[in-house]
Amino acid sequence: MSEFEPSILCFACNWCSYAAADIAGTSRIHYPPNVRLLRVMCSGMVDAEYVMKALEAGFDGVMVAGCHIGDCHYISGNIKAQEMVTRLKKLLHILGLEDERLMLKWIATSEGPIFAETIKEYVEQLKKLGPSPFRKELVT
Amino acid sequence: MQALTPYKDAIDIVKEAGGEAFEQCYQCGLCSGTCPWNLVTSFIVRRLIHQAQLGLVDFEDDDLWLCATCGACVARCPRGVEIIDIMRAMRNVVAEVGAAKVPDSLRITAKNIASAGNPQGEAREIRGNWAEESKVKTFTEGTELLYFSCCVPAYDPKVRRIAQATAGILNKAGVDFGILGAKESCCGESIRKAGNESIFQSLANSNIQAFTESGVSKVLVSSPHCYHTFKNEYPALGGNFEVVHTAQYLLELIRDQKLKLTKELNKKVAYQDPCYLGRHNGIYDEPREVLRSIPGLELIELPDSREESICCGGGGGRIWIETKKGERFSDLRLEQAIEAGAEILAVACPYCMLNFDDSVLTMDKGEIIEIRDISELVWGAI
Amino acid sequence: MGGNITAEALDRDERRIGVYICHCGLNIADTVDVEAVANYAGTLNSVAVARDYRFMCSDPGQDLIKNDIKELNLNRVVVASCSPRMHEPTFRKACEAASLNPYLFEMANIREDCSWVHDDREVATQKAKALVRAAVARVYYNDPLEIKEIPFNPDTLVVGGGIAGIQAALEIADSEHKVYLVERDPSIGGHMIQLDKTFPTLDCSQCILTPKMAAVGAHPYIELLSYSEVEEVSGFVGAFKVKVRKKARYVDEDKCTGCGLCQEKCPWTADSEYDVGLSKRKAIYTPFAQAIPNVPVIDRDSCAYFLKGKCRACEKFCETGAIDFEQVDQFIELEVGAIILATGYDAFDPSTISQYGYGIYDNVITGLQFERLSAATGPTGGEIRLKDGRKPESVAIIHCVGSRDQNYHEYCSRVCCMYGLKVAHIVKDKTNADVYEMYIDMRCFGEGYEEFYKRVSEEGVNFIRGKVAKVTDKAVSEEEEGKLVVICEDTLLGSIIRVPVDMVVLCIALEARSDAEEVARKFIISRRADGFFLERHVKLDPVATPSDGVLIAGCCQGPKDIPDTVVQASAAAARVLAMISKGRVTLEASVSHVNEDLCIGCGRCEELCEFHAPKVGIYEKPMPVSRVNEALCKGCGACAVACPTGAISIKHFKPEQILAMVDALAET
Repeated sequence: MSEFEPSILCFACNWCSYAAADIAGTSRIHYPPNVRLLRVMCSGMVDAEYVMKALEAGFDGVMVAGCHIGDCHYISGNIKAQEMVTRLKKLLHILGLEDERLMLKWIATSEGPIFAETIKEYVEQLKKLGPSPFRKELVT
Repeated sequence: MQALTPYKDAIDIVKEAGGEAFEQCYQCGLCSGTCPWNLVTSFIVRRLIHQAQLGLVDFEDDDLWLCATCGACVARCPRGVEIIDIMRAMRNVVAEVGAAKVPDSLRITAKNIASAGNPQGEAREIRGNWAEESKVKTFTEGTELLYFSCCVPAYDPKVRRIAQATAGILNKAGVDFGILGAKESCCGESIRKAGNESIFQSLANSNIQAFTESGVSKVLVSSPHCYHTFKNEYPALGGNFEVVHTAQYLLELIRDQKLKLTKELNKKVAYQDPCYLGRHNGIYDEPREVLRSIPGLELIELPDSREESICCGGGGGRIWIETKKGERFSDLRLEQAIEAGAEILAVACPYCMLNFDDSVLTMDKGEIIEIRDISELVWGAI
Repeated sequence: MGGNITAEALDRDERRIGVYICHCGLNIADTVDVEAVANYAGTLNSVAVARDYRFMCSDPGQDLIKNDIKELNLNRVVVASCSPRMHEPTFRKACEAASLNPYLFEMANIREDCSWVHDDREVATQKAKALVRAAVARVYYNDPLEIKEIPFNPDTLVVGGGIAGIQAALEIADSEHKVYLVERDPSIGGHMIQLDKTFPTLDCSQCILTPKMAAVGAHPYIELLSYSEVEEVSGFVGAFKVKVRKKARYVDEDKCTGCGLCQEKCPWTADSEYDVGLSKRKAIYTPFAQAIPNVPVIDRDSCAYFLKGKCRACEKFCETGAIDFEQVDQFIELEVGAIILATGYDAFDPSTISQYGYGIYDNVITGLQFERLSAATGPTGGEIRLKDGRKPESVAIIHCVGSRDQNYHEYCSRVCCMYGLKVAHIVKDKTNADVYEMYIDMRCFGEGYEEFYKRVSEEGVNFIRGKVAKVTDKAVSEEEEGKLVVICEDTLLGSIIRVPVDMVVLCIALEARSDAEEVARKFIISRRADGFFLERHVKLDPVATPSDGVLIAGCCQGPKDIPDTVVQASAAAARVLAMISKGRVTLEASVSHVNEDLCIGCGRCEELCEFHAPKVGIYEKPMPVSRVNEALCKGCGACAVACPTGAISIKHFKPEQILAMVDALAET
C-alpha cells in the first residue's frame, strides 16, 4: 500500500496569504501538491459552515490563512477568523476530530517561503495523524 | 599583526550553554557604562559580549567571573539582551566543559555544594541546629508554611540572627510553620549563575522532591536568591510552590494586625534594595512599608535606590570569591549610607548582610552604623 | 457536483461556459498537460467550449474569448492561467468588451499555485484539473453585478497645519480646488516653525516656511480653520461628511486687526508652548510673531477673568472691540471628497529616562529646546546660553534618546543623527565650545548628509561611540566640579569615560501623537505597533490607507525629515488631484447584501462592521431591518459570518459559490 497522502483545503485571504502563495510560485519554492487553495477576500469571511463542509467532503485538514494581527486589510477580519476557529475547534473536539484538522495561520504577503514551509509541515502532521475519521466513514 | 578569525565552534558552545542572547547585542556599551564595577575598576561588559558574538572569548580571562548578576545592565539594555544568561553560559563553558580553570574558591564551593548540599560544606544533619533554641518544629504533612532559611543563616553563626528573628516573629504571630532541616539543600541560585548548571539541576530536583514529599505548598524565604529561583526557575523543573519573602510576609502580618509593633526605635534607617528582590522581582515597596511600621523609625532613602540601587557585590557567585579591598561595592554603599546620615542600614538578604557586616568591620565604622535585617528590626519592635 | 439538485439549479442549465487553458509559453505547459486539462474541462457540466492556447493574455488570446462569447453565445467564462492577482482585470475587461458582465468571469490559478510549485507532470495535471473543475463549479453560480459610480466631491480636507499639511493644501489649492485646512493650534506652522536652521544646508527654517504659511493664509482656495479639531467623520470616498469643532478663541477674527495691544497689556502669563517652556507668553496670545492667522486666543487656564472672574484688561484696551468673552465653540459641517491626514508627531519626553537628568538639571535640554535657544526669535535672541546666562564652554549631545531602545521606542527616529550634527555645528559656530557627540551609529543617508557629517567632523567636534549611561552632577575630581558629567563607554576605546560639560542636549525621539489612536478610530485607519498610522503598502503605496480616500503625509506615518515629508505631502496631493480629475468613484461591486425577509434587525452586523456600512432601521417594512450602505461596504464578509439568520451574503462570495468550489476541490 502506498503512503497515505492527506488532502488539505486552504482558505487563503486575498491580501496576504494568497499573495504569499503567489510569491512561493514566482520564487519556484516547491511544496507538496496535497493542498488546494480557495481564495477569499478575508479570513474573516470564512464561515464555520465552509470548514465543516470541507471536512465532510473528505479533506483531511483545513487551513485558514490570513494576515498577521494588525495587518488585516479590513482592520479586524483576522481577529474574527481567530474567534471562529477557536469556537469551531471546541465543536470538532466534541465530534471526535483531532485539533490538528483545523489550522489557523497568519502569513504575510512577503512570506512565500513560510507559506511553502507551512504546507510541508501540515502535510507531515496530517500524515502522522492518518486519514480524517470523516473520510474513513465516506470510504466504508 | 595577528589576524583573528571568528571561531564558529566557540560561538556555538556559548549558545548551547544558553547564551544565545548575545546575538541581539548592537554593541552600544550601555551595559559597561551602567555596570557598578566601573565605579571601582574597569569591566567592559560589552567587549565580553562581542567576543562571544565572534567566538573569541578568552576563557582564561578573570573578567568572566566579575559579573555579580545585579541586573542593572539588563534593565537598561536597549535591545533587551539577557546579559546574565550570557555570563552564565560563558562560565558554564569553563565550569562544565572545562575550557579553562575555575577560580579556586568557587571550585571548592561547588564541591561543597555538590557533596554536602551547602556552600559551607557542613553536615546536613546540623542544618536545623539554629532552630533548637527558637523551638521550631519539623515541617510535616499539614503544616501551613515551610520556612526556608537559606544556607547562610543556617550555618553561619554571624548571620544566624536573621533566621532566629524570623522564627521568633512567626511564633509570636501564631503562624503554623516548620523547617525541613537535613532534607533541605541549597537553593542553587548562585551556583547556577557561577556556571554549574548540573549542580543546580540536582539541587533543585532534590528540593522539589523534599518539598513535594513533605506536602509543602507555601514557602517563606529570607533570601531573595532563594525567592528568585523558587519562584522563577523551579516551575520549569516541575516545582510549583507559593513563594513569599519575609519582607512581604511581615507586611502581611502587620496589616492583618497579627503583629503589634510597639517598641520605639528612634533611629535613622536606610534600606538597601537587594538586587534579587528589587530589580529581579520588582519588590521595592513592601520592605519599606515594614520599616515604616516600626514606631519612631525614620526611613531615609539612599541616593541610588530602588531600580537604581547599587549591588552589595554578593550575587552571581561573587559571595564566594574574595573581592579586593577598594573594589567592594558594599564599601561604597556603606559610605553613601553614612553620608546620608543613616544609623542603621537595613537589609533583606543574607548576602547583603555578610558583605555589609564585613565592610563595617574592615572600614571600622561599627561606632557609626550597624547592619540589621528587617526581620531583626521587627523582632526588636515587638 | 454531487448532492441535492434544486429547482433553481435545474433552471441554471442554460449556463454556457467557455473554458480556456493557457500554456503561458512553457511556464505552465512544461509541467501541466494543458491539452488533457482542456479535454477534461470539455466534459464538465455546462461547458460549451474548452480550448488551450499559448498566451491567453495576449491580444489573440483575448480575441479568442471575445469571439466565442459572441459566436457560441457563452454566458460564463473561465480562464486557467496565472494568479488572479495578475490578470483578473485583463480578462474581466475582455469579457466586458464582448458585453459579458465581468463578474461572470472566473479564473483558475494553474501557474503560481500549480506548475511553478510542483514538478511531477502527472500530479500537476491532476491538480490543474481540480482547480479548473472548481472554477467551473463556481462560475456556474456567479451573478452579473452592477458596477456603480458616484460623483467625486472636489473639495478636500487637510488635517494638520505643519509643513506636510501646508504643502498638501497648497498643491491642491493651486489647481483651483477648494481645501479646508484644519489646525488644532492657534496658528499653522507645526514643529517646523520652531526650528532654527535646517540640516544639511542650514537654511533658516522660518525663512523658508513663513512664505508658505502666508500663502496659505491668503489663498482664495484655502479655508483655514485654525484652533479647530475634527469631531466626527462619516461617509466614504468621494462624499465624506466632516464635523469640525471651532474652539472659542474669545477674539472675533473679523474684528481683530492683529495689533498686539491686548498681549502687551495682559498681566497674566503661562509657559510658552512655542519656546518649549523656555519663556513665558501671556494669557491672551498668538504663539509667535508670524502666526497665521494673526489673531490671538485667550487661554482659559491662565486667564484671570476665567479663573477668578476679574481683569478683562485686554477688552479695555482693544480698540476694535474684538474681545468676546461670551464666545462659545462652534460646529461646522464640511463635505469633502478626500481627506489628507498630516497630524505630525509628539516629541519624546526624556524625563522618563531618569538617569539623563532631564527636569532635574537645568542645563540638560532637549533638541527642540536647543532650537529655540538658537533661533533669533527665541528667548535669548539666538544666543546659546546656560540657565544662569553664561556661555557654555563644553556641550555634550546625546543621540538615540528614546529611539533604538526597546524600553522606549525600538525604531530609529531618522532625523536625530542629523539634527545632532546640526546642533554641534551651531554650538561650534556660536560659542566655540568643546562639543562631544555620543552616538551608537551615525545614520546620514540623505542628500548632502554624509558631506555634512564630514564638515562637522572637520570643525573639531569629538565623536564618542557609545550609548550614554548616566548624566550626573556628582563630581569625583576637581575638573568635574560644577559640571554635568556624562558617563558612557567609548566602545571604540573600550573604556569608560567621564566627560564634564556645561550643557547636555538630548536628541529626543519622534513619537506618535498621544491621541493617534483616537484619530485613527475617527478616520477608520490602522496604526502600526509603534503607534504611527499604517500606510496601505509599505513600499508601493505609502500615502494611502485601508480607508479609500483617506491619505496620510508626514510624520503621522512615521519619523521623517523635511524633504521626505514634503515629497509625501505632494504625493498625497497628487492622489487627491487624480481623484478630482476623474470626477467619479467606482464602488466595490462585491459587497454585502441583506435579505430583508430573513433579517430580524438584531444589529450584530452593525456592531462589528469596521466601516459602519450596515445600519438597522425602519425602511419599507414595519419591523427594523439592517440595510447596507454599499458605498461604505468593503466586502470583507464579517457580517455575513456573524449574521444569526443567514440573511446577509457577500455578492460574488455567496455560500453556494464557495461550497461549489469546496465540493469540486474535494473530488478526486
